[in-house]
Amino acid sequence: MMAPLFKFGLFGDNVGLVVAFIIGIGFGFFLERAGFGNARKLAAQFYLTDLRVFKVMFTAIVTAMLGVYYLSVLGFMDLSLVYLTPTFLAPQIVGGLILGFGFVIGGYCPGTACVGVATGRIDALVLFAGIFAGIFGFGELYPLVSRFYLSTSMGQLTLPQVTRLPYGLLVFAVVLMALGGFAGAGWVERRMAARKAEA
Amino acid sequence: MRAFLKDLSLNGKLALTAFALGFIALFAGTPYRGAHAVLNSKELSLTMATDADHVGVKTLADWIIQGKSDFRVVDVRNEAAYADYHLPSAENIPVAALGESSLQHNEKIIVYAEEGARAAQAWMLLKAKGFKGVYMLRGGLEAWKDSVLFPRIPENPTPAQSVEFARIREVSKFFGGTPQALAGDSTTTRTVVGMPRLTMPAAQPAGGAGAPKKKKKEGC
Repeated sequence: MMAPLFKFGLFGDNVGLVVAFIIGIGFGFFLERAGFGNARKLAAQFYLTDLRVFKVMFTAIVTAMLGVYYLSVLGFMDLSLVYLTPTFLAPQIVGGLILGFGFVIGGYCPGTACVGVATGRIDALVLFAGIFAGIFGFGELYPLVSRFYLSTSMGQLTLPQVTRLPYGLLVFAVVLMALGGFAGAGWVERRMAARKAEA
Repeated sequence: MRAFLKDLSLNGKLALTAFALGFIALFAGTPYRGAHAVLNSKELSLTMATDADHVGVKTLADWIIQGKSDFRVVDVRNEAAYADYHLPSAENIPVAALGESSLQHNEKIIVYAEEGARAAQAWMLLKAKGFKGVYMLRGGLEAWKDSVLFPRIPENPTPAQSVEFARIREVSKFFGGTPQALAGDSTTTRTVVGMPRLTMPAAQPAGGAGAPKKKKKEGC
């Protein structure tokens, strides 16, 4: 059996939706367990007092990276068939900034807003409505921004392609980056806590 | 060591695991084994320019008669065409299945299709996947039919051509073909004659068939 299972035709669209539902429930559950249903904890990220978003997300990235890498190396998965979001550099930088502002102001990112709604938080519900308003607004404005939206297209990029470094080396580098990041995040959190205690 | 692991927190253990896996990744190579391939354009163009990427049909016929077994003949057409007729000892691997085939990188592989283009695609794919000894059958199955199964003697043959025809006639019979006496009428005759049966000898062991085999020495 080779992954990606869907691309190899092991199941169709209908079963795919069921699988997506199960994975989505799991994803939401673990976001909630990590405390991501709470806007205060999420926003604390930006004040450097609680870096759990960074830690959880980077842990997820490293886990997924190692899993995908070893599954492919061992022949259980064809990495070349995995969909990668294409890079549109300039519009994605702008989009990232807008999302970041929304994140600080509203206290949720889109995924965690869903988690917040599922656990019945009103602020999440308001933000959720805002997401759809934004999608609607973007859709209406699309003809005006479409040129920019589709500019600086760079295709499906991966780090090994961009850096021209061996894949394994980059895997190791990202793991080191993550471990260093976790240590650094812990240090920053302790410092911020100490400063708070002083004040 | 054990005490150290015991004292380590869960986070520490996970971090250690991630570090170990990342470190092993340094030596585990690239995960893109499946569909990605690299071409050495210089080597390829040189191979093409020197015509070292082809094997002639007569050469292949000689090899088969001699019972050589150091090569694999691969028919890249679809199953129906393969079932209809294929070269003796040829195996059927359609182009789409080449990536997952049992072909080994160090084998001598001769690909063929009806004519040239499809075989050239297969050749390119295999080359890109790092197969070293890949060759195309020059002219494909059409050339096989023209030169091996239904050879014809040119009009007003020179003595050398007559000798060659006598030789190729034996080869043709070996493969169940029908040598044509005269040039020109071959197309009509061929439709009447039809393709040989598929029960023909596959990879005759050396020393098996007598007559045509001896002649092969001067073949290529």
